[in-house]
Amino acid sequence: METCYLIKYGELALKGGNRAGFEKQLCRDIKRKLQGIEFELTRRIGRLYIRCELKNEPVIVRALSHTFGIVAFSRAFQVEKDMPLIEEAAAGLAESLLEQGPGNRFKIEARRSDKSFFLTSYEIACRLGDVLRARFPELMVDLHHPDWTLNVEIREAAYLYGPETKAPGGLPSGSSGKGLLLLSGGIDSPVAGYLMGKRGLKLDAAYFHTPPFTSEKAKEKVEHMTNILSEYLTGTALHVVPFTETQVRIKERARSEEVTLLMRACMVNIAAIIAEKTGSICLVTGESLGQVASQTPESIRFTGHGTDFPIFRPLIGLDKEQIVSLARKIGTFETSILPYEDCCTLFSPAHPLVRPDYESMVRSFQELEADALLQKAAAEAQIISF
Amino acid sequence: MNARNPLYLDWAATAYPDPEITEKVREVSEACFGNPSSIHRAGREAEKLLAESRKRLAAVLRCREEEVVFTSGGTEANNMALFSLLRGRKAKKIIISGIEHASIYQPAGTLKELGFDVAAIKTDRFGFIDPAAVEAELDERTALVALMLVNNETGAIQPVAEVARLLVEYRKNTGRKILLHTDAVQAFGKIPFKPVELGVDSASISAHKIGGPRGVGALYLRRGGSYLFLYSGGGQEGGQRPGTENLPGVCGFILAAEKKAVSLKANLESSAGLMSSLLAELQTMEGLTIIPPGRGDDKEKHFSPYILNLAFPPIPGEVTVRVLEEEGFLISTGSACSSKKKNRFRVVENMNIPKEIAISIVRISIGPETQKDDLRRFSAALKKRIPALLRITG
Repeated sequence: METCYLIKYGELALKGGNRAGFEKQLCRDIKRKLQGIEFELTRRIGRLYIRCELKNEPVIVRALSHTFGIVAFSRAFQVEKDMPLIEEAAAGLAESLLEQGPGNRFKIEARRSDKSFFLTSYEIACRLGDVLRARFPELMVDLHHPDWTLNVEIREAAYLYGPETKAPGGLPSGSSGKGLLLLSGGIDSPVAGYLMGKRGLKLDAAYFHTPPFTSEKAKEKVEHMTNILSEYLTGTALHVVPFTETQVRIKERARSEEVTLLMRACMVNIAAIIAEKTGSICLVTGESLGQVASQTPESIRFTGHGTDFPIFRPLIGLDKEQIVSLARKIGTFETSILPYEDCCTLFSPAHPLVRPDYESMVRSFQELEADALLQKAAAEAQIISF
Repeated sequence: MNARNPLYLDWAATAYPDPEITEKVREVSEACFGNPSSIHRAGREAEKLLAESRKRLAAVLRCREEEVVFTSGGTEANNMALFSLLRGRKAKKIIISGIEHASIYQPAGTLKELGFDVAAIKTDRFGFIDPAAVEAELDERTALVALMLVNNETGAIQPVAEVARLLVEYRKNTGRKILLHTDAVQAFGKIPFKPVELGVDSASISAHKIGGPRGVGALYLRRGGSYLFLYSGGGQEGGQRPGTENLPGVCGFILAAEKKAVSLKANLESSAGLMSSLLAELQTMEGLTIIPPGRGDDKEKHFSPYILNLAFPPIPGEVTVRVLEEEGFLISTGSACSSKKKNRFRVVENMNIPKEIAISIVRISIGPETQKDDLRRFSAALKKRIPALLRITG
């Protein structure tokens, strides 16, 4: 009897002719995540299987639970399609489940993809139910509210497994192309990155560093944040953009109430330059409608005016509580709220524009004459790979 | 990194290590490793060295050896003073200054939760407590007054001796004894400090502020009081602070204390000279606010010559710190212990300094290795970088 990890992917299975491509993408992502670990990955219709040594299992479990495209996975027993062997494996599995003490009410869920197998799904379930009850008299079948379910799948071999571990689902990393995330270190932007990563974007990130007004600690915090995200977003590069000169130019030339909007527009433009250079085809931000003055429809129209890349804002319709709850789930919240405030407040106006006039903002932007500065900032960004 | 490059100007946070003391700590760690409570030879040697160390620190402090309790540092000594001295007392009021270090201020908050009445006395605009304000708070419920000797942020030397005299007077008149504790962490080894001369019942001191190791300090506890101690355990330090003694730390501490006692007068004079030339050089600098404004104008108000607070509003203090680091100088914002916390402006708020200035304050603190030329370079760096920052932030 062999053990393996059986991996289920939901949405991919619906992708018709593209399915094979998506599956390959998923395999590539898993392999990238498990670099340096010995394992064997096999692709069969609708399922992936990973076999590895026992000592590598914790690493594999951690990686799979952070892989977009995977809905759930289970540690399974694999045996030949032979009923006595299947029964023995079922009893062994039931014994190990019972040791964990989930309860005595159980159910067998059988699935027969290999229609040449001599028993139907229903018959397999009945036979195994009988075997388990004979072996463990305390067990009771409960089809509606079982304490645990033993799954059997008859495919190229027979696979038996207990409870599943949930994974994030979505589409495999890179299957939707590559994007650039504007990452601030606050609560929102990492969540935006997670959500777009889940839709199959491979993501790089850009952080705007304004020394001496922002501290090394603030930068380290963003590096730490990128590191957390990189468990999901394999192969992320963080671009640390030197933003001080641009910030000073804005301060010198702009009216104080326009400062925040101009700053954001400059960030978007620098991000677009970096995206162009590094093969990204879209930008991602953590904006949420109405959260702050720069996130009203009028403000967003202006701050995105300098690029024709699509700007994805997956948090646009979410409340702060929803965003916080997602941040907690993906493990970025605790880092987000570390108190390395930057001195942005130094540059943020007491009364920022909430409903800016588009034409006049565009004029103010042109008056900054910042094109060369923005190009220079993009070119001088320090790249940190994760 | 050494004390010169980048130039270390944060001596009030912790002193630059003295190699002779570091070596002493290492030597004792290896040569005298026994537990002073053990009865074998290694233990006896350690016990002997500990007793000798206590005697030597008592000699520096001019007190009795049984009045020295070794602790893990200033914070523990301050906590012990409040909790141990107050435990079991009927009187339920304490008086503290509003500018105490967090290791007094926070425990006072806990005492408040435990039902004590805590009166926090505000300072004047220069950061000094008026003894009369303490006197006005004294009543039959008062058990203890805590007043630090040198404020860690502004360097203001508080009138502890005057308050001690007030309490003696009060006892004469009413027959009631009120304890006086002083946090002398920024005073010990830096300005003249003898607990008996000062008239306090207890005082906290720390090793690492004077070149000794971290994790060791002491509480001077005047003989004759009856105190109930907070911790219990193996009975070390006369039961006052149980726990296996940090003998290497203690030996490093004693060496630092003795060295500082010898050089105290010379250091004090040279630091006073350095500080007044720095102030003179900066006096005319555009955008500078010296904290407190008018420091040095009133000759009755004494400041430690080791600490200076400056502000360049509206440049945030942390920005000034970073820019100075780029120029090769390590300074701090306010107090290093609270510079990351929300209530970091408590001390200057006491002096009615507005928030806009408070956020801009930086602290320069010098030590025995600081030289005149260092401070000249420092003020040149300020003059080089600050005006541009003022233009950007103003």
